[in-house]
Amino acid sequence: MKRIYVIENLCNGCRLCETFCSSLKEGVFSEAGTRIKVLKVPGEEKDIPLLDCDGKCLRSIKEKGFPTCVSLCPTGALYYADQEEAVEKRLAYEKARMTHSLFKVLAPWKWPFPWMNPEENEGQKKLGGDV
Amino acid sequence: MKIRQAKEQILLRVDLSSGSIKKEPIPEEWTEMYLGARGINSRLLLKEIKNGIDPYGPENILYIGTGPMDGVPIGMGRLSIATKSPRGCIAEGSSGGFFGPELRRAGYDFIAVEGISEKPVYLLIQDEKVEIKDATHLWGKTTYETDAALRAELKDPNFQFRYIGPAAENLVHSAMLFGNLNQAGGRAGCGEIMGSKKLKALAVRGHGGIKLYDYEGFLDAYKDFRQKLDLETSRDMWTPVWSTFGAPVLSRLFPDMGQLMTRNAQEMSWDYDKATAISSEKYLDSYVTKAKACWCCPWPSCQKLYTIPSGKYQGFKGGNYWAGQPITFGSLIDNGDLDLLLVLSGLCNRYGLDIFHVGYTLGWAMECFEKGILTKADTEGMELGFGRFDQDELINLVRKIAYKEGFGELLSLGCEGAAQRIGKGSEKYCLSVKGMELEAIAERNLLMVGLGIAVSEVGPDHTRWYPPYPCNPSLLSKAELDELGLDIDLKLAFETRNPDKKGELLRWFTISRAIVEALPSCVFLVRDSLGLDLRTWWKLFESATGIQQDYQEFVRAGERIMNLDRIFNVREGYGRKDDRVPYRMSHEDVKGFGYKKIDQDTLDRMLDEYYSANGWSLSTTVPKRSKLSELGMEELAEDLVSKGVEVES
Repeated sequence: MKRIYVIENLCNGCRLCETFCSSLKEGVFSEAGTRIKVLKVPGEEKDIPLLDCDGKCLRSIKEKGFPTCVSLCPTGALYYADQEEAVEKRLAYEKARMTHSLFKVLAPWKWPFPWMNPEENEGQKKLGGDV
Repeated sequence: MKIRQAKEQILLRVDLSSGSIKKEPIPEEWTEMYLGARGINSRLLLKEIKNGIDPYGPENILYIGTGPMDGVPIGMGRLSIATKSPRGCIAEGSSGGFFGPELRRAGYDFIAVEGISEKPVYLLIQDEKVEIKDATHLWGKTTYETDAALRAELKDPNFQFRYIGPAAENLVHSAMLFGNLNQAGGRAGCGEIMGSKKLKALAVRGHGGIKLYDYEGFLDAYKDFRQKLDLETSRDMWTPVWSTFGAPVLSRLFPDMGQLMTRNAQEMSWDYDKATAISSEKYLDSYVTKAKACWCCPWPSCQKLYTIPSGKYQGFKGGNYWAGQPITFGSLIDNGDLDLLLVLSGLCNRYGLDIFHVGYTLGWAMECFEKGILTKADTEGMELGFGRFDQDELINLVRKIAYKEGFGELLSLGCEGAAQRIGKGSEKYCLSVKGMELEAIAERNLLMVGLGIAVSEVGPDHTRWYPPYPCNPSLLSKAELDELGLDIDLKLAFETRNPDKKGELLRWFTISRAIVEALPSCVFLVRDSLGLDLRTWWKLFESATGIQQDYQEFVRAGERIMNLDRIFNVREGYGRKDDRVPYRMSHEDVKGFGYKKIDQDTLDRMLDEYYSANGWSLSTTVPKRSKLSELGMEELAEDLVSKGVEVES
C-alpha cells in the first residue's frame, strides 16, 4: 500500500503542502482543514511536516494519482511510495547526501541534470570520486 | 473561521501619536488600477504624504502592504514596505517570508503607521484585536534577541514578525526591517523611519482563510506557472542553479568576466583562489545546515541556514548568502575568508544593518585610507587597507556603525554622507546613486544595468528591473511578441554593450516587475518566459480576484506604478540631474576587459530613449499630461501643477 513518507531534513518550511491541502475541499486557502501541517520550530532551524493523512488525496492537481502535497513539494521532502520503493528512495537520498552537498537541500530525484545524479553517475566512480 | 475574498483589500491605520487605530477599505478601483502591495503603497504615498515634509517627522507615514495574491500560494509572502526616504525620494523595498499571508488571514492587507510614539512600542495584531503595546523591554535588542523575546512573550509559534535592530533605532543610514531572523527588506530608508517612530516591531497572527473567485481557473494557471519554474521543466538554465546552489555561484564566475567589483571597484577581477574560497560550492559543502524558503515558494532553497563549522568563529549561525555578500564583504574589501564574511553579514542581520551600506562604505573608507584621505587619527588607530585589517577590529567596526560610536558614526552616514562630511575629493570613491549604495551587479559591461541604476526611483535596486543579465530572446516567437504588443528588437536590446534599445528594454522590465511586486509575488521568479510574457500572472490574478480586464489593461497597472514613483520624486525636486551612475563608472574604463566607462553621452543617449518611451519630459523627467491621461491618472497632472511642477502636454 502506498503512503506519504517524509524526509524531515529536506523540509524547507515553505508550507506549500499545508496551504494547498487546505484548499482541496472548499477552495479556501487557510491553515484549517489541512491533513498536513508544518511545525515551525522557533529559531528557524527545524521545519517538520506532520501528517494526518492516509495518502488518498482529495484531489491530485498536478500529477495524476499523486497526492497534491507530494507533487508540489519543491525539495522532495515528501514522497509517495509503497514500503519497498520507500526504502530504495530513502537509501538513494542518503547515498546522494554523501556524494554531493547539493543533496543537503534537495532530493536526488528532483535534480534535473543527470551528471549530478548519483544513481547514474558512473563517470564519477571511474574518476575515483567517492560515491 | 473568517473567510475573505482574494480581491478584498483592507488598510489598518495606526497613529502612534494619538494611539488611534482604524480600519479602512482600499477603493476597489485601486485594485484594478494598481493591483496591490507596491502599487497601492505607491498610490497611498502620493495621496497621503505631503511633499516637502520632514521624513523623520510625525507627518511621514510608513506603509507595510501585501496584496490580492498573498495568502494565495503565488504571493511568496512578499511585503512591500514604503515611506518617504530620509534622502527625500521614495523609499520602497520588498521582503519575503511569512508575514504577508499571516496579515491577510488576520483580515488586513496594509498597515499605515502615522505619528511618533512617546516611548518604544510594538503593534500586536491578532485577527480583529489590534493593540499598541509597550516595547521598552525590547528597545536596544538585536533582531535575533527581539525575535526570541517576542516568541517567548506571545507563545504561539505561528506569530509572524517584522522588527528593527539597534541600527534603525539609532537612525543609521539604510537600516532595514527584518523577520524570521534573516528576512530583510526596505533598505531604502524604511527601517530608519520605523525607528524614528519608535516602533520596534509588528506581530501578527491570523486564523482566517482566502477564497478565490475561480479556483479551477486558478489551478490551470498555477500548473502553467509551475511548468515554468519547476527544476525539471523550466527552460531557464538559471532556475536549477539559482534555486539550489544560490546566487553566490557568481563570485566564481564574475572574475573571469570582469564583473566582480574588487577593492571598491578599482578593479573588476579578483584573485581566483579568493573567489573560490567564498563561492557557493564551499558554502554548501561546509557551512549549510538547512534549506529555507519563503511562503509557498516553488523553489527548493534560494535561502539557507548556516553554521560556521570550525575555527575562531565556530558555532556562529546565520541565514542567507546571496549575490551581495561575496561582493560587499568579499571582493570589495579584498577578504577571501568565508568565516569572516559570514560573521560580518550575520552581524548586519542582527544589528538590522543593510549589507550594501556597510560593505560599500567600508570599501569607500578603505580606498580613502589607502589614498591618505583617512588616517589612523580618523579610524581610532585602526589599519584599514584592502585586505589589510584586523578581523576583530573590523567586526567591532560593524557594531560601532550600528551604535554610531567613534569612527563608526562617520560610516553610519553611508558613503555619500561620509564623503560629504570629510570632502577632500572622497566623493569620487562613492559607489552610490541618489544617496544609496550599489548592489552586486556591475554596470560597465551591462549597459542596461547602468541605466537601471541611474533611473531607479529608490536608488540602486536591481529587483525593480530584474534580471540584470539578458534573457533568452528565443523563448518567445515573433508571433508571440506581436500578440503581447511587445515591439522591442530583443536581439539588439540584449546586446550587453550597445546602448541602443536599453531604454525600451528597461521600460518593459520595470513595468513587468512592478506588476509582479504589486500582485505581489517574487521578482526572482521571472524565469523562463515569465519575465517577458505576463499572461500567466494575468490569468492567476484574474482567476483569484475575478477582475476581468484585457491583457494590455493589466500591463498598464505596471506603467501606472512606475509613473507614481517618478511623480513622487519630481514633487520632491528630483530630476534628470539625479539619474546618473557613480563617478567611477562614468570616468574609468574597466582595465583588462575592454569595457568602456559609461560616459555622459552614452548615458544621455540611453536616458533619452528611456524617458521618450515612457512619455516623460526629456528635460525634467516629469510624466507628460498625455501619458497620465492615457493611464487614467490625469488628476495627478493637476496636482503637480498646483505644486508648481511644470507638466508638458
